[in-house]
Amino acid sequence: MRLAAGVDVGSTQTKAVILAGDDEPRILARALVDTGAHVLRAAELAFHAACREAGLDPHEIEMIVGTGYGRYRVAFGHAQVTEISCHARGAHFVFPETRTVIDIGGQDAKVIHVGSEGAVRDFVMNDKCAAGTGRFLANAAEVLGLDLEEIGSLSLRATDPVKLTTVCTVFVESDILSYLAQGRRPEDILRGVHLAIARRTVSLARRIPIEPAITFTGGVARNVGMVKALEEVLGLPIQVSPDSHFMGALGAALFALERLERGLEAGTSS
Amino acid sequence: MTEYRGWIHQRQKELMQQWYARLDESARTGWPPAVCLMISGNCVEVLEAFGIVPIYPEVNALQLAIRHQSLEPILTAEEFGYATDNCAYVKADIGAYLMGVTPTGGKLPRPVLVLCNFVGCNTYIKWFEHVAAFLEAPLYVLDVPFLRSEEPSPADVAYVVAQLHEVVQRIEEITGLRFDMDRFREAVRCSQQVEELWSRIKHLAQRAPSPFDAYFDAITLMGPLYVHRARPEGVEFFRLALAELEAKAARGEGVYDREDFRVVIEGPPPYPYFRVFRDMFARWRATAVASTYSTVGGLWEFGFRHDPEKPFETVALHMLAHNLTNRSYLQRYDQIRRYVQQWHADGVIIHFVKSCRLFSAGQGDMRDYFTKVLGVPTLYIESDLEDPRYFAEAQIRNRVDAFFEALERHKHAIAM
Repeated sequence: MRLAAGVDVGSTQTKAVILAGDDEPRILARALVDTGAHVLRAAELAFHAACREAGLDPHEIEMIVGTGYGRYRVAFGHAQVTEISCHARGAHFVFPETRTVIDIGGQDAKVIHVGSEGAVRDFVMNDKCAAGTGRFLANAAEVLGLDLEEIGSLSLRATDPVKLTTVCTVFVESDILSYLAQGRRPEDILRGVHLAIARRTVSLARRIPIEPAITFTGGVARNVGMVKALEEVLGLPIQVSPDSHFMGALGAALFALERLERGLEAGTSS
Repeated sequence: MTEYRGWIHQRQKELMQQWYARLDESARTGWPPAVCLMISGNCVEVLEAFGIVPIYPEVNALQLAIRHQSLEPILTAEEFGYATDNCAYVKADIGAYLMGVTPTGGKLPRPVLVLCNFVGCNTYIKWFEHVAAFLEAPLYVLDVPFLRSEEPSPADVAYVVAQLHEVVQRIEEITGLRFDMDRFREAVRCSQQVEELWSRIKHLAQRAPSPFDAYFDAITLMGPLYVHRARPEGVEFFRLALAELEAKAARGEGVYDREDFRVVIEGPPPYPYFRVFRDMFARWRATAVASTYSTVGGLWEFGFRHDPEKPFETVALHMLAHNLTNRSYLQRYDQIRRYVQQWHADGVIIHFVKSCRLFSAGQGDMRDYFTKVLGVPTLYIESDLEDPRYFAEAQIRNRVDAFFEALERHKHAIAM
C-alpha cells in the first residue's frame, strides 16, 4: 500500500489529506487548521494532525504535494501543484461526471472547466479583489453579529430578499447597515448577500463553457444558502461532497499518488 | 533561472548608454538638438536626417520602472492632480520631470520640438501637450489617421506625407539646420537594413528550440531598434545579433536546457517586476516564440520595409499601417493567429495592462476568440506595465502555474 499526502495552504485555512493508494485510492485521514501568519507551521500542523488521525508516522508518507497560495512554503513537500489543478482533480475523483468546478474559498473564486479525464481545460478567477468570496460572507456575518456557520441556513428563511448594489467586501458593510436601518430582516439581507455572490460567480463562469455536472468545492461550499443561491442563478443542480472543503488537499494527494505510480523522484517536475 | 546572456545584451547596454550620453551632452551644450518623439510607429528617420537626437518619454518611463524607481514619480504626478487610472507611463514621465529625476541620473535636454507622432493612442496627445507645456517647447501633432481598412488609402498617405514635409520645415525654422535629402535617404536605408535583419531574427524563433525569447530577449533588442534604427551602428548591431543567434540556432541551443513550451505573448510586460515575471515562465521552460509588444515600434516580420527610393511615402506607410498600435483589433487577432500557426506555439498569454485602455480594451474578447473559436489555450493575466501597485505576484504566479500544468497534462495525454 502506497501512502501519499496533499497539503492545501489556503489564505484562511490549511487542509491536509492522507491517501492510501490501493487499487482505488482511499482517504485515510483529513485535518484542518487556521493558516494564520506562519504558513509553514500551519502546513506542518495540518499534515501531522492528519498523520495522527490516520495512525501513521509522518515518515511513512512517501510523497507529499503542496497546493494553495502557500504551496511553495510547504518545505517538506516534494512537489507543488496549483489549487486549480487540484480542485479539478479532487472533484473529478469524488464525482467523475464533473465537467465544471466552482470553487469559492476565503479570498478567491474560481470556475474550472474539466475534461472527462479530470484535467483542467480552462479556468477563470476573480482578480486582485475579494469581492464575492468567503471574505465577503464573513464580513456580512460579522456586521449582523452572526456566526459564519449559521448564515447559510438563516438565508433560506428569507421571504423578501434585499437587492445588494455591491459585491465589494468593504462596502457591503455600509449597505447592510443601511438595510438594517430601514428595518429589513437579517434573513432577507443574508439572502441578498448570497444571491449577490451567486450572480457574480455565475457571470465569471459564463466566460468559459458551463458544462454539467457542476461540482461546488472550497470552504464556502459548506454553506447551504450559497448552494441554493448558485443553483437558482445557474438554473442547474449542483453537487457538493461532504469533503468539499478538502477538495484541494485531496487533489494534491491524488497528484502525489500519481507521482509515486509514475516512479517520479521527489523534486522532479511533471 | 537559465536565460541567454550573450554579446547582444552587453552591446545593447553600451548602445543605450551611448544614447543617454548624447542626451546628456545635448542638455549640457545644446548640441545635438533633441526632439521628443513617441515609440509607436515613430518617424525617427526624419530626425536622423538633421542629426537630431530623439527623446523617447516611454523609454524613460520604462527605464524608471525596470530600475524600481517608478512609484515615486507616479505618486508625485497623482499628488499634482493626475487621476489614478491615467496611463502610468504618462504619470511616471511627468512625475520624473516634476521631481527632476532621470533614469540614469544624467540630464535630459529641453527639446527644440515636441513631436507627437500620434499613432492609435490619443492619450499621447495629452501627454505630449503636457510635456510641451512643462518644458515650454513648441508642439507639433502629426495626425496619423487610424487604419480603417486592410491598407491605408492614397489620401491617408498623402495627408501624412504633407505633414512630414511641414515637420521638416518647422525643424528647419526652429534649428536653422537645412534638411539633407541624401542624409534622409541614408537614414531610411539604415532602417530598411535593420528591419530586414530584425525580421530574420524573429523568424529564427520559428525553429525548435527557439534560440532566443521573442518577448523577454526581444525587449532587450528593442532599445537599439528604436534609438539606433536609422543609424549605421544600428545596422551593425543587428547584423552581429543575427549572426550570434544564427550560430546559436545552428548549435541547436534554446533559451533553456530544454524547451518544454512555446507561447505567444500579447501585451507589454510588467516592467517593475520584469525579472519576477520572466522567472514565472523560466520555471516552466516556456519560451515566447513571438510577441505583439515587440511590434509596437514597427511590424516588419510580414514583409514591410522602409524604402530609400520612396523615403517620405514609406515613413508615412510605416506610421499608418505597419506598427501594432495603429491597426485594428481584428488585425491584431490575425497577427497573433499567424504567430501561433507559423511559429508553432502551444498557447497564448495575454497580459492586460490596467492603465492602458488602448492596448487592453477588448482583450477579454480576444481570449474568447482564441479559446472558443480557434481552440488555442489562452491565459489572461492582469497587472500594469509601469505601476507596481497593480502587480499581485501570488495571484499571477498561480494563474501561470495552473496554465502550464494544464498544458503539460494535455501534452502528456497526447503523447500517451
